[in-house]
Amino acid sequence: MTQTAAQRFLQDAAVKSADLVHREIIRRGMDSYDAAHLKGRARIKDWEAAREKCQEIKRDAINHLDRFLLQFEEKVVARGGHVYWAANAEEACAYVKNLAIRLGVRTVVKSKSMVTEEIHLSPALEREGIKVWETDLGEFIVQLRNEAPYHIVTPAMHLNRGQIATLFREKLDPGISSDDPADLMAVARRKLREAFFTAEMGISGANFLVADAGVVAISTNEGNGRLCTSIPPIHVVVTGIEKVIPRLEDLAVLWPVLATSGTGQGITTYSTMIAGPRQSGEVDGAGEFHVVLVDNGRSQLLADAEQREVLHCIRCGACLNICPVFRHVGGHAYGTTYPGPIGSVLTPHLNGIREFKHLSYASSLCGACSSVCPVKIDLHHHLLQNRRNATESRVTKSSERVIFRMWRAVMSSPSMYALGGWTMRKALRTLYALGLAGTILDPMRVWNRYRAPVPLPSESFRARWRKDRAAS
Amino acid sequence: MPQAKEAQTENSSRDQILGRIRAALRIVVSEPAVAAGDSKRVIFQTIDDPLQRFEQECAANLMECALTADGEASAQHLAKVLQSLPEGEAFVQEDPTLRRLVQLAAPARAIRWSTEGAPGEASQVTVTLAEALIAQTGSILVSAGCGGRGASVIAPCHIVYARAAQLVPDLATALGCISQQRTFDRNSFACVISGSSRTADIEKILVQGAHGPRRLVVILQSGT
Repeated sequence: MTQTAAQRFLQDAAVKSADLVHREIIRRGMDSYDAAHLKGRARIKDWEAAREKCQEIKRDAINHLDRFLLQFEEKVVARGGHVYWAANAEEACAYVKNLAIRLGVRTVVKSKSMVTEEIHLSPALEREGIKVWETDLGEFIVQLRNEAPYHIVTPAMHLNRGQIATLFREKLDPGISSDDPADLMAVARRKLREAFFTAEMGISGANFLVADAGVVAISTNEGNGRLCTSIPPIHVVVTGIEKVIPRLEDLAVLWPVLATSGTGQGITTYSTMIAGPRQSGEVDGAGEFHVVLVDNGRSQLLADAEQREVLHCIRCGACLNICPVFRHVGGHAYGTTYPGPIGSVLTPHLNGIREFKHLSYASSLCGACSSVCPVKIDLHHHLLQNRRNATESRVTKSSERVIFRMWRAVMSSPSMYALGGWTMRKALRTLYALGLAGTILDPMRVWNRYRAPVPLPSESFRARWRKDRAAS
Repeated sequence: MPQAKEAQTENSSRDQILGRIRAALRIVVSEPAVAAGDSKRVIFQTIDDPLQRFEQECAANLMECALTADGEASAQHLAKVLQSLPEGEAFVQEDPTLRRLVQLAAPARAIRWSTEGAPGEASQVTVTLAEALIAQTGSILVSAGCGGRGASVIAPCHIVYARAAQLVPDLATALGCISQQRTFDRNSFACVISGSSRTADIEKILVQGAHGPRRLVVILQSGT
């Protein structure tokens, strides 16, 4: 029998959280992010005001989505660009694929874009014999490993320099001797430079689509996004419909907030604005400019009165970084394009609640994600709503419903609760005395497998309460 | 004519998506209102001394900023930077001031002017103007007019020649200027560049010089 997504998640999460090398890499990566993020936040005078401003901008944008998208489209078309609206992944991939075939494209250079991961664009192009180069260093590394990005901002943060050096030796050049990050970057740079200057098509995502200026805003540090959008004769932007913002001036707060939340920088090194194809008299730039606006479930989320604000997400990755679950199970265990809290909220909407309802439970509901979200999405409450929706829509197992009904009966009857507690204390004490803690017979196995059993109290809380009251 | 047909953005899903968006937006969502007076809150520290802030942020962004008093001093600094670079073609934005400056600074170096096309793959250095400098983030704002898109990213070193009067305090002012001056009516590209190209994709360790320039040098000449 093939595994369900939920079974796979539990299995991969258990393996990853016990993987000590992985734990060490993530701990170090997150520590350095934490330090940079806190320092970055301190540079902004009123961080809460900044979050509220960003929330306000995105809310304005999402609540007038049709108007701003049309305004953006009009501007781009007026400058000679093309805008294609794709209802789903298939339509988006087909458009880019057909464009590439029609224009004789053999090689594509790609800058980082989570939407292209979501719609599986690269495999669609490769099936046509088109070579696709991921040019962001992290994406390039995971592409060489045939892996999905581990994290939406730092795709290769699950690997250390030694693993990357080995990969480069295997795939690029057996002569690589150093594992210094600067040397590894230089290897990737040399390799990808050929690609930049031979590719006929550059594909990028967008961080923002600015309605009033008709501009695609792309934030990158490496400059690969710049090269993808400067050198090849064709530039295709693939992005979600929710990326639109009303005004160019909104970037004055969105850029610093995105950079602070993403990496702790004051602003991303290259905050690029592309307003269309190369105009007459310009030195360079793509003559063909296409923007693919992907819906793929987003308009359905827009219709969700409780969770519309999930579309405010600017994909900074802050909720992944702070999440205690992400920090233990890592990005790949989720088995989704978008991991972490935002992914757990979003995936059931994009890919179906039946298969991905388990992600709503991949959370302790601690609320850390909501507290760091730069656009103030109430993430942990949305996880709770998804749990409720899954139950109400009866996609849960009947055994689960029976167990919860029993649980409710016990919890609402003091005598049954007391009996339950007594039974468990007796049974577990016997079990532990027999040395069976953590075995298949232990009802607390999930906890006790990897830990020393929690000491059992000799009496119930209520008994102690009565005794203490009587004594005082 | 196929070209004219392509210029339209008609496609079958367009109206369908717009229809779904409009239907969704008819659903009323109760959202907590932003408290009155909140819009008055100051998000970013006010910048009292833009030049000092610019220099400070440049240092933090790992860019080089040289203040010069006049054209001669600027040419001298440009000469110094160019001498420190390997031999090879320099790409320079076609502009009378830059022509004078480069002729003074490096009369012997091979120059490719922006009117002759984009910088080549092997360009060692690019020299351009900027639309503005931004103190808040230690950034330069370039447009397609500053020698094109590749001029600020292809070569390992990018030198920007700017005047002190081009310095604006913050991003909001810079973006306001772009809107007011209708920059995108004349340019298909603009970019706020804050430092040299970098990555931290391996173990979160900062590496300067990724796909773009390793060095970004600003020669900032006082006066207008």
